[in-house]
Amino acid sequence: MKIIIDGRDVDVEYGETLLTAAKRAGIKIPTLCHNEAFEGQGRCRLCMVEVERGSMKNTVASCTYPITGEIKVSTSTPLIEKMRKNIVMLLYKQAPGSQLIQDMYKEYGCVDNSLEENNADERCILCNLCVLACREMGSSAISLIMRGTDKQVATPYNEAAEVCLGCGACAEICPTNAIKVIEKDGQRIIWNKVFNLVNCQRCGKPFATREQLGYIAAPGKDISTQSLCESCRRKSAAEKIQGFM
Amino acid sequence: MKMYSNEGRQILVCCGTGCQANGSLQVFDAIQEQIQSLDDVEVKTFAKSTGCNGWCEQGPLVKILPDDITYCQVKVDDVPAIIDKTIKNNEVIERLLYRNPASKKRVKSPHLELDFYQKQKKIALRNIGEIDPASIEDYIDRDGYKALEKAFSMSAEQIITEVTKSGLRGRGGGGFPAGLKWQSCAKQSSTPHYIICNGDEGDPGAFMDRSIMEGDPHTVIEGMVICALATGASNGFIYVRDEYALALKNLNLALIDARKRSFLGENIMGQGFAFDIEVVRGGGAFVCGEETALIASIEGKIGEPRDKYVFPAEKGLWGQPTVINNVETWANIPVIINEGADKFASIGTENSKGTKVFSLVGKVVNTGLVEVPMGTTLREIIFAIGGGILKGRQFKAVQTGGPSGGCIPAELLDLPVDFDTLKEVGSMMGSGGLIVMDERTCMVEVARYYLNFLAGESCGKCVPCREGIRHMQEILTRICEGKGQISDLELLEEIAETVKIAALCGLGKTAANPVLSTLRYFRDEYLAHIEEHRCPAGVCRDLTEFYIDKEKCTGCGICIKNCPVDAIYGEKKEAHTINVEKCIACGSCIDTCRFDAVRIR
Repeated sequence: MKIIIDGRDVDVEYGETLLTAAKRAGIKIPTLCHNEAFEGQGRCRLCMVEVERGSMKNTVASCTYPITGEIKVSTSTPLIEKMRKNIVMLLYKQAPGSQLIQDMYKEYGCVDNSLEENNADERCILCNLCVLACREMGSSAISLIMRGTDKQVATPYNEAAEVCLGCGACAEICPTNAIKVIEKDGQRIIWNKVFNLVNCQRCGKPFATREQLGYIAAPGKDISTQSLCESCRRKSAAEKIQGFM
Repeated sequence: MKMYSNEGRQILVCCGTGCQANGSLQVFDAIQEQIQSLDDVEVKTFAKSTGCNGWCEQGPLVKILPDDITYCQVKVDDVPAIIDKTIKNNEVIERLLYRNPASKKRVKSPHLELDFYQKQKKIALRNIGEIDPASIEDYIDRDGYKALEKAFSMSAEQIITEVTKSGLRGRGGGGFPAGLKWQSCAKQSSTPHYIICNGDEGDPGAFMDRSIMEGDPHTVIEGMVICALATGASNGFIYVRDEYALALKNLNLALIDARKRSFLGENIMGQGFAFDIEVVRGGGAFVCGEETALIASIEGKIGEPRDKYVFPAEKGLWGQPTVINNVETWANIPVIINEGADKFASIGTENSKGTKVFSLVGKVVNTGLVEVPMGTTLREIIFAIGGGILKGRQFKAVQTGGPSGGCIPAELLDLPVDFDTLKEVGSMMGSGGLIVMDERTCMVEVARYYLNFLAGESCGKCVPCREGIRHMQEILTRICEGKGQISDLELLEEIAETVKIAALCGLGKTAANPVLSTLRYFRDEYLAHIEEHRCPAGVCRDLTEFYIDKEKCTGCGICIKNCPVDAIYGEKKEAHTINVEKCIACGSCIDTCRFDAVRIR
């Protein structure tokens, strides 16, 4: 079926979200809390667009809005732009330490105002992607806790979580670089937990936590047999293929 | 008395939460104990503890039938007199009767004589205060489960058509037509279907749903079973906030009794239809009153709402079609089925049919629970039923719709209240809280109070609601502290508009209402705070200075007695003076002065 986005005919599948359809058509809609690996969340509200369906006109979050009929979409109207600018301003007050948010603050032409800013090093915008990534990894070591203006991401009781593998998927997916990962002296510290890193058997570089390798290893199998870092693993695979040829 | 001798006499003791707080359970126990010794009386006497009568201001209330005598503010010490005089000797105890402040006469049967009752029309509250909520027999005696019996003689479509025709709209705040919801769920092919009763009432000052669940639990159950029959649902859930201990107790008891009588279970009324209900206790988050957050909470997830582009009627609890209605909506269903849609639809306004229960609180004479036809004016609710403003003060505003409702000013008192009119004036029906405010209420402070509440109760999922509320609260706080700038108003409106459009759920979308409505109707007050550093209501401490009008002060000393910081001095019978240095502007003096001598500078 077809819908119209910003005056363009776009081919879409019934039920897919507006954001997915727009992305495929090369139409850019800003978002901070969306990642293709997960269903839309509707948290940051930056992806809101105007949708006309018959005589009804609504402002909807494109990451959660399923296409179920003929609609006309405007991704950038004065109302939408004003709203996005205000949301970026609010995000900047929340996470002034994030380079990404700082850049957006400038891009959207936000002007400084008298509202209080968080600590200059605060970067978290509570997009929840880290929580989703952790759950996807099978751990659920972190979660959103509290509510309202006290909401935050944390491990249970802010203590080192038993189930945390130290895999760093949370930090990897974070759009604002808000999760601290310290790596030194063969150790990784993340979410208040210290992990010993395993060295790559080929290049000698520390590359993953013991817990992480244990989690992905077959039961009973020694983790040392597969202790290759990502680039060495690629090299090794290439060599194997070459060996066959 | 002879004519009643076969039926016996009933003593109804209101044991709603308000009356209980004033000791009605002890009164009930005392009556129970003392009627044991009544063997010598020819008339048999029963005592019943009932749900909330609604006239909370005058509780504990004791009603004696069939004499139709209502005693107000009854204490345990009054019980022997009630037994000796009224029950044994048919005497009315004058001092326990309500004294009508207008006519100065004592009132024996308030429901016949007072506007408080006369102007009400009880549908959802029809049984409350009349029956013992713990007794299924009491409910059945008043046509209970008759609607269910009738529903079994109707097809599913007929039931849904009846509910649709009645024009019943969701009483939880949204005002969505109940019939449409049912229909949408019924036509979904995916099974099972679920039914949910939303009893997560969380608005400050609201206790409509609480009273229904406490006072007439079977009406909720009957409404849900009828819906299950119409939509083919197999399971139901009643989500009640855990703070409502009595509601939980009465509901659980009612479920057990309903199962025993086959109104629930595997084979309801022998018709081969299976449906059961369980009670789920809420964890106390206000946002869980929002239906998608409530559903997430039942599923064991964090109570966060989701975008509702697909309604719960299509994909609700565990992804299955779900009808979710509020307690009061359910309470209307048996009446609609019993008496027909047309009769129900004859009450109310064009687009809002039936009645609405309001909890009337704040600076109003008759605090309580009232049910009026849709379209009743605010003036009638507040002045005729509510008895006007306490201490004869000036009405200033009424806040409707809970924390995300709006404040409506005096010039709109003649507004007929329904879903649409309230929305037009920038407020909303919400679940039916009505908080009356007088001249001693600061509207900026009111907005700040609600934003403060919302800052703690927003789920924090979406940016505009979480961060927008945080900053609106920040601005309001500084205005109340006298540190506001005139540019703050523009900023406030800017944020409020964004929150209104962009927030994810109903709570967020309406969170700016307290700000926008007070700015709309009481902008002067904001300006007084910002430009004149003055709080006209004398509430914001940093901006308030009290003084005593020497002409009016009689030197009675009551303010001196009440001042917590000894800031008032003066000889007896001579005009007093406030020491501004010491004064903390708490307002005790102005609130206790009977001569209107304490003034705000």
